[in-house]
Amino acid sequence: MDLKPGARLKSAVCSAEFVVVRAGTGIDELSCGGAPLVAQDVTIEAYAAIAAGLDGGVGLGKRYLDETSGLELLASKAGLGSLTVDGRRMAPKEAKPLPSSD
Amino acid sequence: MTQVMKDVRVLEVAQFTFVPAAGGVLTDWGAEVIKIEHPVRGDAQRGLKVLQRLAVNPQRAATMHHSNRGKKSVGIDISNEQGLQLLYEIAATCDVFLTNFLPAARQKLKIDVEHIRRANPNIIYARGSALGDKGPERESGGFDSTAFWARGGSAVLATPKELDGPLGMPGPAYGDTIGAMFIAGGISAALFHRERTGVASVVDVSLLSSGVWATGLGHDVAMDLNTLPFTQPLPVNGGIVEGSQNPFMSVYKTRDDRPIQLCVLTPGPYIQDTFEHLHLDHLMQDERFNTPEALMANANLCAPYIAEAFACHSFSYWTERLRTMKGQWAVYQNSLEVAQDPQVLANGMIYEVESADGGPPIRLVANPVQFDGEPVSNTRGPEANEHTELFLMDLGLDWERITALKDNGAIA
Repeated sequence: MDLKPGARLKSAVCSAEFVVVRAGTGIDELSCGGAPLVAQDVTIEAYAAIAAGLDGGVGLGKRYLDETSGLELLASKAGLGSLTVDGRRMAPKEAKPLPSSD
Repeated sequence: MTQVMKDVRVLEVAQFTFVPAAGGVLTDWGAEVIKIEHPVRGDAQRGLKVLQRLAVNPQRAATMHHSNRGKKSVGIDISNEQGLQLLYEIAATCDVFLTNFLPAARQKLKIDVEHIRRANPNIIYARGSALGDKGPERESGGFDSTAFWARGGSAVLATPKELDGPLGMPGPAYGDTIGAMFIAGGISAALFHRERTGVASVVDVSLLSSGVWATGLGHDVAMDLNTLPFTQPLPVNGGIVEGSQNPFMSVYKTRDDRPIQLCVLTPGPYIQDTFEHLHLDHLMQDERFNTPEALMANANLCAPYIAEAFACHSFSYWTERLRTMKGQWAVYQNSLEVAQDPQVLANGMIYEVESADGGPPIRLVANPVQFDGEPVSNTRGPEANEHTELFLMDLGLDWERITALKDNGAIA
């Protein structure tokens, strides 16, 4: 699978779409909801079932990081599956502002 | 709505509400606003975890969408040399630079007027501050509760002297949101000036100048008379403002304790109509009240009749009943009532944006200006860093350079 920065991928289990914004190394399988991601131009006839426990969802505009491989994806469309790299769950990358109140 | 700011590109290096909300207004009008955020921390406003003891949902936080609607978030560390050069490259493509960084920070970061103008001599440079760009306090920060509300004079004008301390601002970001509109207005005028003359201006708006302007007529009269003529009476059901002598100018409580404002400034032509609506027809036979002169001479005798009338029926009864009254009146609405006010909705004062979390749409108050009779449509505020790579690609950067910038820490 092409995981060069700028590559556009989509989920095979839901509506989620991604842009690779940071390449990763040594990746065998990149999945959403348990099914490997496919290139954006691949036509999907019907979504595969989401594997148990991999239904955490993908938020539009959110980034997902796999620290081991260095891979980072930006979600360009939201969806229902959870991202995994070789079985490792990708973590959402959140802004880390200093806490305040009003 | 006509996108009057279409093809105007704004580069925003600003945090919190006052200045970012000006960028938000410009997106309502069709501008493209590039919001530069720190690639790791984001806008400091994103740190608002609690608002009036209520937890903020960061995915739906109105504290972000109010001021950052419709923008692109591009995460750049501008304290990094390559990040700064990237900022200059973006500035070269923009019409407006918008910032609330203090003068010393602008100098240190090299994003002051002379630096940004070196990258783009034709850029309009708009800066929002707490206390203005001149004077001994130009380097001081501030919030709308301090610079706009307290110092600008609003708090004293709003507070009855019987109270033990000044009243607080009506809701969050009140002065920020008013001031943001002033910045957007100033930028619009500067864009018009540049279009006419080719000259790009520096625009200054402060929270203090906004607060002083909002209370400007009160200050003008006080300066003219060299006294303080405006005071807030302590609210009393049916209380007549001292000197007004007009029982149709007061707040009355309904049976269920909801206030209704009567505001019939010139009661003369409306005496009969007002009395009839209040079920006080018999007072038209009462010589103390049936002419404008008598009514005003006996205002304090009339007010208790009106108070008694209002106390006989519920709030919903009166809002229906007064619909046909000729004189002016108003209900006092809370936020949830404003949100379903048919007049607010009919005029598109609130619109919906799609939420990033896939939940129900987020309702936002629109900027107050409409063009060509059409309501605003816009999108939500961005997630932190949401558009960095895609925007930089549009700018012409290739992935090789984007990756190099990441390796360097200029972007995340």
